[in-house]
Amino acid sequence: MACYINGAGMISPQRTYDNEAFLTDIASYDRNVLTCLLPNFKDYIHPFQLRRLSRMLCMGLAAATICLREAGIETPDAVIAATGYGFQEDMAKFLTEMLEQDEQQLTPSYFMQSTYNALAGLIALSVKCLGYNTTYAGKGFAFETALQDAMMLLREQEAQHILAGSFDEASPVQFREYARLGYFKKETISNLQLFDCQTPGTIQGEGVAFFTLSAVSAPHTWCRLKGIRTIHKPVDYRELSEALTTFLARHGLTPGAIDVVVNGASGDVIRDRWNTALLQDAFPNAAEVRFKHLCGEYATATSFALWLGAMILMRQAIPDAVQARPVHPCRKVKTVLICNHFLGKHYAFLLLDREANGFSCP
Amino acid sequence: MSRRVFITGYGVITAIGNNAEENCTSLIHRRCGFGKLDFLETVHRDRLFACEVKLSDDALCRLAGVSIGAGYTRTTLLGLVAAKEAIAAAGLSDADVQHAGLISATTAGGIRELERHFYDLQDPGKKGAFVAYLDTADPGEHTERLAEYFHIKKCLGTVSNACSSAANAIILGERLVAHGEIDCVICGGAEALSKVTINGFNALMILDREHCKPFDENRNGLNLGEGAAYIVLESEGSFQRSGRRAIAELAGYANVNEAFHQTASSPQGTGALEAMKRTLAKAGMDTADIDYINAHGTATENNDLSEGLAIQRLFGDRTPPFSSTKPYTGHTTSAAGSVEAAFCLMAFQQGCLFPNINFQQPMKELDIQPLTEVTHPVRLRNILSNSFGFGGSAASLLFAKC
Amino acid sequence: MQTLEELITLLKAQIIERLNIDGMDPEELDEDMPLFGDITGLDSIDALELVVLIHKRYGIKITDSKKARKILYNVRTMAEYISEHRTA
Repeated sequence: MACYINGAGMISPQRTYDNEAFLTDIASYDRNVLTCLLPNFKDYIHPFQLRRLSRMLCMGLAAATICLREAGIETPDAVIAATGYGFQEDMAKFLTEMLEQDEQQLTPSYFMQSTYNALAGLIALSVKCLGYNTTYAGKGFAFETALQDAMMLLREQEAQHILAGSFDEASPVQFREYARLGYFKKETISNLQLFDCQTPGTIQGEGVAFFTLSAVSAPHTWCRLKGIRTIHKPVDYRELSEALTTFLARHGLTPGAIDVVVNGASGDVIRDRWNTALLQDAFPNAAEVRFKHLCGEYATATSFALWLGAMILMRQAIPDAVQARPVHPCRKVKTVLICNHFLGKHYAFLLLDREANGFSCP
Repeated sequence: MSRRVFITGYGVITAIGNNAEENCTSLIHRRCGFGKLDFLETVHRDRLFACEVKLSDDALCRLAGVSIGAGYTRTTLLGLVAAKEAIAAAGLSDADVQHAGLISATTAGGIRELERHFYDLQDPGKKGAFVAYLDTADPGEHTERLAEYFHIKKCLGTVSNACSSAANAIILGERLVAHGEIDCVICGGAEALSKVTINGFNALMILDREHCKPFDENRNGLNLGEGAAYIVLESEGSFQRSGRRAIAELAGYANVNEAFHQTASSPQGTGALEAMKRTLAKAGMDTADIDYINAHGTATENNDLSEGLAIQRLFGDRTPPFSSTKPYTGHTTSAAGSVEAAFCLMAFQQGCLFPNINFQQPMKELDIQPLTEVTHPVRLRNILSNSFGFGGSAASLLFAKC
Repeated sequence: MQTLEELITLLKAQIIERLNIDGMDPEELDEDMPLFGDITGLDSIDALELVVLIHKRYGIKITDSKKARKILYNVRTMAEYISEHRTA
């Protein structure tokens, strides 16, 4: 059963929410933290709903609305959300209130809005989706699991149009913990220098992305999601590289067939080494794009990669801002491979493609 | 063509027992785990009781077979204990486990440890044993620790869908096996009590200071609990190959959303009704085929009305015996779906039904009443288990005895 | 000593602030109109927020949800209850 991406909504540290200009005007950040550029929420959310929603819930609902409008769908058949660390701002608010006020007079909304499935529930409520609804959470593969679940649902014919997405925020609480663990750069850099400095550590980012995954294509289809493979803590480079070869072979492809590789390198010279090696060994001739200088590193950053890969296929264009290794100017982009890693422990491959003449109605 | 999926083993740890046998004995002897908190420090200790696992973190480390001070959260420890038991009960070899998948559920995760060490963890100048808990609060942490312990690398997932989480984990596991993605998957959930959870539910005013009374006219809210449970799901070929047997088949399931309110269920029970109907349809069964319902039955005013009406509407005069086992274990939130699945499997093995403790006065809105006595022996063919949660989630599982 | 009317006026502003009802004038909030239900769109979570408001501002702790529903029926019933039981 095919899986078509018929729409997307991306809210990121770049102006991506209107799906119009494709990464032309790049925002720069100079404190090792990238935070989202926000749409006007009132364009997407009723004022009466807006009053009690946290920033992240507003972003999630807005991204979901943008996505559904793009896809021309009012009510999806299922909603699947994913997050690495959930609603950290609300959790921090509830936790600090609890600790500072000796567990008295606590704000119920903070608690409620910090539950991981609050967004999936809110979306279902807003669009009256009574179907399958679930949330995957945790630092490893939450978004990838959401996509795999959605693809299975389509194969089971339990749903025709699924809204699947992810959210994660650049939380100060997490920043301090990650800094102590050596995940972030010791030196303060601009995001635009991320791949120049060649030092350990990365920079913190955030983002919310929703996609409609459908069993049927349409003239406005962005691309096809062909497959996903995740590798948890590979023991060595060989395990990773063999997993990639097997993954491509299962889809009848060799590395030479890939037109563009979306490289999920994070600017961490140590943790990026296997991604770097993969690109050199397996894809010496493919165009390469990188993206974490635009969105930062976060647990569900694969969703930014998916948005980027899908946009490249739909627009048949690669923005200068992401080019690491250029493509032959006349070559059509038909197949995109995403190679992402999170903190050097969670590796994911996603395969996307698009017919040469686009998609038509079935 | 999808494969049939069977359950070959389970493991459980709750306030009423550290393993399946102890839990079963407590269920039969009506021994509940509700009481004062011994291990969680909260200002509400003298007023808000809960169902705590009767082991300290250190004792859990010893039971789980891991070092103390290595950053294992209590949620992870509970998970390890239950998963080990499930694997042993299913008769899986080390090689079998390494080829299996793991889908686990939690909401609290390592929040208990985060709240205890919050300021220290945030202060780069502070040093101490607490640093072992850096980056352990998220739900995925416990799944990763379990995966590392058992050398599981495939099909790893963490569900966090409020109180239907573990049921959703089981549903995902079922689908993975049914569609041939994997032959064996360990599914369930783990949840430790925390101050955040207790205070959060308290702020929502849905906790009962007394021992909870599901489906009773005078019910006053839920009791919180903690625990973990896992069931081993396998394809027919997988367990038959090694001459092992199954306890039951996971014959039906459903995951729906009520889209009514962020925390409340609809008074008419639309979501609950839909979940049970779809589960029966998936199993190709009728209401007459169900011999017992393990209800979600949290004893909140809202859930029991909603669920009670849904059961009554669906089954009518033919409502089978039903009970909530939450007076025994408390509401184990994200682990509830798998804890109660384990109790359903126990019911099959013992030929026994477990009662709805504390029921005295029927709800005025309902014609049906829950089971109040341990009932044995009883012939059981098929059992339905419900799990409903915040955010409108409603899940049901249908187990068919082998 | 605050009169009931003064308390009602103050309460209206506090409710609007606590519940984040942007752009609503306190005078628009009718003290005799039911606070919860289809007209206002306020729900059970808002009710819980008001319980916290009453505790924080007036030192009155409400622990029974059934009792809370009666007290929070409208702004007037809230003011009357607070007048009688306040410790702050």
